[in-house]
Amino acid sequence: MSVIIHPRPSPTAAAMYTLRDLDVDVIVIHGPSGCCFRPARLLEKDGVKVVTSALLEDDFVFGSEGKLAKILRRVEDLFKPKLIGLVGSCASMIIGEDLKKAAREAGLLHKTICCYVHSGSGDNTVGAIVALKEAASMGLISFSEFERQKKMLEMATMLERTRGTARGEYIDNRQGDPPKEVARKILGVLSSGGMVTCVLNAKKETAFLYADVILAIYEASRRLGGRIQVLANLAPDIGLPRVRSYSKQILERFWREGVIVDSLTGGLDEYPLAGERAKDLILQSPPDLAVISGIPHAVPVEGAVRTVAVSVGSRAVANLKILGYDYVVGERDAHQLSLGRDKEIRKSLLGDAIRKGIGR
Amino acid sequence: MMAIALYGKGGIGKSTLASNIAAALGSEGIRTILVGCDPKADSTINLLGRRIQPLLEVMRNEKKPPPERFTAIGFNGVVCVEIGGPEPGVGCAGRGLIIGIRYLSEMLDLEKFDLAIFDVPADIVCGGLAVVVKEGYAERALIVTSDEFMSLYAANNLCRGFMSIGAKVGGLIYNKASKSGMRYVASFSQRVGLPILGSVPLSQEIKIAETKRKTLIEMSPFSNISSKLISLAHSIYENSFSMVPKWIPVDDLEGIFLESA
Repeated sequence: MSVIIHPRPSPTAAAMYTLRDLDVDVIVIHGPSGCCFRPARLLEKDGVKVVTSALLEDDFVFGSEGKLAKILRRVEDLFKPKLIGLVGSCASMIIGEDLKKAAREAGLLHKTICCYVHSGSGDNTVGAIVALKEAASMGLISFSEFERQKKMLEMATMLERTRGTARGEYIDNRQGDPPKEVARKILGVLSSGGMVTCVLNAKKETAFLYADVILAIYEASRRLGGRIQVLANLAPDIGLPRVRSYSKQILERFWREGVIVDSLTGGLDEYPLAGERAKDLILQSPPDLAVISGIPHAVPVEGAVRTVAVSVGSRAVANLKILGYDYVVGERDAHQLSLGRDKEIRKSLLGDAIRKGIGR
Repeated sequence: MMAIALYGKGGIGKSTLASNIAAALGSEGIRTILVGCDPKADSTINLLGRRIQPLLEVMRNEKKPPPERFTAIGFNGVVCVEIGGPEPGVGCAGRGLIIGIRYLSEMLDLEKFDLAIFDVPADIVCGGLAVVVKEGYAERALIVTSDEFMSLYAANNLCRGFMSIGAKVGGLIYNKASKSGMRYVASFSQRVGLPILGSVPLSQEIKIAETKRKTLIEMSPFSNISSKLISLAHSIYENSFSMVPKWIPVDDLEGIFLESA
């Protein structure tokens, strides 16, 4: 049996991010106060209140549905939320806590999305599917939208298992190539009149970081020449309202900066499918260099054209190197940078290096 | 000091035997502690004539309670403790037992007793319920069984569990015994390599004593059944045998009954 032994994203955290996308005002984690601490803090940056039921040993032994009901009441009093997300934890789910019973007892079941999920539930996408399914059953999203997203999440899982960091027992951490060196390669192609295909294949809010690479390459092209093709998964009419708003905002910024998107490959929650579309377009008219930002391993063109992959996480960088992308840039934490109430395109390391390369 | 843990199918009479064995040995000056490990917290009721507040409940209000807050002296000087646990259907009894037993052994010097009896609920269905033997609080387990198929099935399953965790078992206690049923238990005993330490017949007297919240040793110390219980208590206390048991396939277990039919 092959077991992945390096740390993996948690289904509970995935459920929390999905609840944020569903525009809940508060997320309650039914677990110890330290559960999902980092995702909780990041989501708080995004304007979502996150609290826990602060479970302790006594609660594991005696059960804590009553305590959870009281905390839900307290959340109601403190924040007056329109919508609450309630997620399980390993501890509460192992002892069989009934989230809906507690929400009912608190009189808040009608506006609480209950996600029976924990970090041992399997792939992280399981958590997202659980949240979406519950939202569909509550009438918050249509079942057809649920089915579309479920399909995407299952494709994402398959992608991770076949080409992502879930494909090996252990993938080590690795530093990427120096952004300055990679920027020089990109600028070299533009200076010689070559064609650079910029692919934005990002997941939700992380697009606010990766879009900067396209802005920087466009700026460089204005000065140095060369040809640019832009493929982006920024379809503004796909996904939940919050996700659509990200696409619209980035497209507006592109429009202001004069960036032309040649092809919309899909929505921001469709990176596995959008990646395949981008691959097809690249292979139809191969560029001199393809710069792929976000989830590059979803765009399997390494070996077919010269590639620059831009992603986050030293393990993802190592995986992209192993897959055979020619250059790999590891950006700073995309979630950390792109979360926040005021969404705007953030400066990327590669974008900065490109701008410096043209004397900006 | 000897420390034993009684395991067996639910309702087979573990608590009844545990309290009567403790009462019998207590009357001979053997310093005995009975630790009830069932969330129902009813192992010691017949030694005390009442319920005591379980340790885990005391710990909910008082994080580091001293021994006098969770111990009581029962019939014949037996020291009684109930670990306690959650209401049925909520929480985690296994986790409760782990926490309770660890705290008990930290706060109470078990070495000052001649005998510690742990009365453990039902089957070892999770790691928590195995903690008494797994972490060595009891040096050996004793399996209580009747001659019914499901009781021996549970005993066999316990043997399997004890084998997998490498825990030693001192033998079988044959409860609700009958002349006709002995052959089943004897055959099982021989196949898993465990001796039968004693037997106690199904008794109306024990039931009557329990309705009065007493052990039979207290209510009718000279009755025939009491003498059986005293004999069993001696056998257990004097037993030095223990081994990691074998277990047998279910077909073989069924064979015991088919052969004897």
